[in-house]
Amino acid sequence: MAAEPIVVVRDLSKIYRQGDINVVALDHVSLDITAGEFVVLMGPSGSGKSTLLHIIAGIDRPTSGSAKVQGIDIAQLDESQLADWRNQNVGFVFQSFNLIPVLTAAENVELPLLLTDLNGRERRKQVQTALELVGLADRGHHRPDQMSGGQQQRVAIARALVTDPALIVADEPTGNLDAKSAGDVLAILRSLTLTAGKTVVMVTHDPKSAAYGSRSLHLEKGEIAA
Amino acid sequence: MTFASFIAKNALRNKRRALLTVVSVAVSCGLLVTLLTLQRELTVPPESEAASLRVIARNKVSLAQPLPAKQLSVVEKIPGVVAVSPFTYFGGNFRDETVTSFAQFAVDPARFRDLIVEGKIADGSYDDFIKDRTSCFVGADTMKRYGLKIGDKMRFTGTFYPVDLDLKILAVFQGTVDDRGVFFHHKLLDELMGNPGTVGTWYLRVASADVANDVIARVDKAFENSSAEVRAETERAFQMGFISMLGNVKMLIGSISAVVVFTLVLVTVSTMSMAIRERFRELAVLKALGFKRTELFGFILAESFGLAALGAWVGIGGSWAFWTLIDLQKLTNGFLLYFEVTPRIMATGATVAALLGIVSAIGPALAVARTSVVEGLKTLD
Amino acid sequence: MALPLRYNFRNVLVRWRTTLFTILGIAAVVAVFVLLRGMARGIERSSGNTGDPRNILVVRKGSQAESGSLVTREQFRTLQYLDGIAKDERGEPVISAELVMIVSAPRRAGAGEANTLLRGVTAGGMELRPQVTLKEGRWFVPGKREVVVAQRLASRFAGFEIGGTIKAGPDRLTVVGHFDGTGSAFDSEAWMDADEARSIFDRDMYSSVLLRPRDEAALTNLVARIQADKRLSLRAEREVDYYSKQTMTAVPIKYLAGMLGVAMSIGAVFAAMNTMYASVAARTREIGTLRVLGFSRAAIVVCFLVEGSFLAMLGGILGSALAWGVYAFVVVRGINFGTMDFQSFAETVFQFRVTPDLMLLGVLFSVAIGLAGSLFPALRAARLPVISALRSL
Repeated sequence: MAAEPIVVVRDLSKIYRQGDINVVALDHVSLDITAGEFVVLMGPSGSGKSTLLHIIAGIDRPTSGSAKVQGIDIAQLDESQLADWRNQNVGFVFQSFNLIPVLTAAENVELPLLLTDLNGRERRKQVQTALELVGLADRGHHRPDQMSGGQQQRVAIARALVTDPALIVADEPTGNLDAKSAGDVLAILRSLTLTAGKTVVMVTHDPKSAAYGSRSLHLEKGEIAA
Repeated sequence: MTFASFIAKNALRNKRRALLTVVSVAVSCGLLVTLLTLQRELTVPPESEAASLRVIARNKVSLAQPLPAKQLSVVEKIPGVVAVSPFTYFGGNFRDETVTSFAQFAVDPARFRDLIVEGKIADGSYDDFIKDRTSCFVGADTMKRYGLKIGDKMRFTGTFYPVDLDLKILAVFQGTVDDRGVFFHHKLLDELMGNPGTVGTWYLRVASADVANDVIARVDKAFENSSAEVRAETERAFQMGFISMLGNVKMLIGSISAVVVFTLVLVTVSTMSMAIRERFRELAVLKALGFKRTELFGFILAESFGLAALGAWVGIGGSWAFWTLIDLQKLTNGFLLYFEVTPRIMATGATVAALLGIVSAIGPALAVARTSVVEGLKTLD
Repeated sequence: MALPLRYNFRNVLVRWRTTLFTILGIAAVVAVFVLLRGMARGIERSSGNTGDPRNILVVRKGSQAESGSLVTREQFRTLQYLDGIAKDERGEPVISAELVMIVSAPRRAGAGEANTLLRGVTAGGMELRPQVTLKEGRWFVPGKREVVVAQRLASRFAGFEIGGTIKAGPDRLTVVGHFDGTGSAFDSEAWMDADEARSIFDRDMYSSVLLRPRDEAALTNLVARIQADKRLSLRAEREVDYYSKQTMTAVPIKYLAGMLGVAMSIGAVFAAMNTMYASVAARTREIGTLRVLGFSRAAIVVCFLVEGSFLAMLGGILGSALAWGVYAFVVVRGINFGTMDFQSFAETVFQFRVTPDLMLLGVLFSVAIGLAGSLFPALRAARLPVISALRSL
């Protein structure tokens, strides 16, 4: 089971049109990620690391090549299938938290569960479990603006976890945090791979953050450097 | 948390904007309802059962042209005519007013009694009125408006007739669709004018609605090719004729209403698109979390529909309450009388608001659908 | 230190998609306002534009309008021989005894009947009214049942074309010509011989008398002389003064313009407020930066006020232009509007008049909307703390 790759990327290319010129964001990238890995994507800005993350997470589409997650070629799914797939299989953590300011922490975490068949009681139970996992069980009724950056990011991680997805993607999750909070967040992400068997793919340009990962990949001009 | 509470929280997120939107929709809806009511007031005369039994006969040339008084003997013999009285519009100004909004008519008091069957004597006595040649019979609304009581004098300066009237109030009526008129003895007018032997119009009551058309045809026929040809019509048709003389007013109000609706659409659409633009990034996050276009469209639609519905409720209800509670007759010097906000008009306003809620959701929904998650996440504001 | 205007203009234009709807909304409000005012202006204009300042109009004492006035034949004879009346080439006094009658006639396109004002004039009637000119056909022949109708009126009634007939009871009047009243109240009238009219309508008396004094001094004397004569019991005044008072018909439309102006501008102010608040919110960082650069709170307030009024002014200009476009269309197509005159109950024909001063009024109105709508957002912008403005993402 552990040897089985959860993400299989083959020959993946992404070309953007920016004004009149074509920008090659990804150039025939191939990559395998095994379940339970904590993969860190690094590289200068414009190297294609975020694009690769977006494609694996199913919010962007490749120009050519394939990205299979748990055996499903996500490039072949249509808009609506992809939305369902994301809901069930991927958890997102963003640099700027992206919590909904009018909702409490618990409600933010509950948001993806609105798309499931769970009833209110089951939803609240799962929300509580997720909040406990990030150490914020007692802050559920606080709104984002009443919490520190680190706490907000932990709420975001709880939101990513609540549907119990196999894959968690994180785009610069510590970019807006102080060193202490960043350490907490990274520790939680690492423990998820170690104790819960989740796979985490994280983009960062901070070498200290990268140290928490089990494997680092370096992207340069759309290609994976050795 | 449910979908509904999520939508409600979003709609009220920017309380100031939600309030401004609701108020501007409310003002516009209220205005629309007011305009439609005004249009109805000016174009649809009030219906009354008794009025359908009454026929007005005027000179075919125009209302301003008098009829010979001797026509009475012919008119009263026409089969189907139950009662007939001369009915002459005096058009005088009360006291020092330059425009008097209630009408005064010279009638034959004894005959007139059988014409307004729906009116009841509220004060004084009709018999006293019949006996005194210089007295008058006054509508309760006019009594109330000027604070008059039985025995008071009313002085009118003639505008159509070169004479002035001094009338004593001896009876008050109410219960007709328009309780404002003042009625006095035709004999008094005849005397003041030097007995010209003319009347303004004939006012008839027919036995039943079925014979009305027959009576009208007979009256018209009786004076054909005489020096004073007659045009008879039901009271309602007569009022409609008066209304048609207002000319392009109906079209005018119609086009203003259209512009009001157009403005309403613009305001709401711009508010909705601002509300959504502000949340572009959030909507992208929702998309990333697995929400589909249809669900996001549902959120936007529900929010826009909800704000529009709230505005409509306030605006339509408010204008209904306003026009029902204020004393419009006093405010407009009798120019507007009933100004009834009908359920039909309110339903029209509500329908416009509902469509508005839907229409203004379309633009933002399309923008959200067109934007990919990655683009949406890059949006700053 | 104030911010350059260029900054405001560009900000409005940069956010054109957001602001376009607000601008269009304000444009619609201004267009309705200007058109209604133009309509009231048109009606007032038709009475204000009527008459000759050299003429005196005589009506019965106490009557407000010609249609409710009676002048006997003896009174007319007395007036005719008063000293000070101008004489024509043949030595006859320039005076016209007139009869004003209301005749109901079918509208064009079967839209029911409406009243028209039929004026019987005697010999001097046309000479006394140089603003009325024959456009087609010929004048009526005295003693014949002929009528000349205003061109504008002819466009609204059936059978008013030359050769057509107007029914007056058992009698028929033949239309022999069309005249142009150059936008005066006469544009709503039909003219015929006064004595013929008296015989058809069985009237012993005239309605009014119009006369031309020799000169200004004679005019003053004549007015005083007629007014003072208790036995005559007539009211004399300058013809133009009489008509300029006949503006009642415009009153309801003015009311409507006022009411709509207020109600619709509330909506427009809110729309402008929404737009400006959004603009402030979107530019929080920018405002912070400007404050750091040294712009005062006052400068920020002025900046947003200028921006709001500029935005509204664009709407105002568009709305005024739109109103003018409607006006131009109506003029080119020769469309006439009609409503009931509340004094004579006859149809008054009028045209909109969208004049530059009305358009300017519309633009000023829009600027007021803009200022009202941007005041609170501007104050909010000025109150933003510099630091938090810079922190906002």
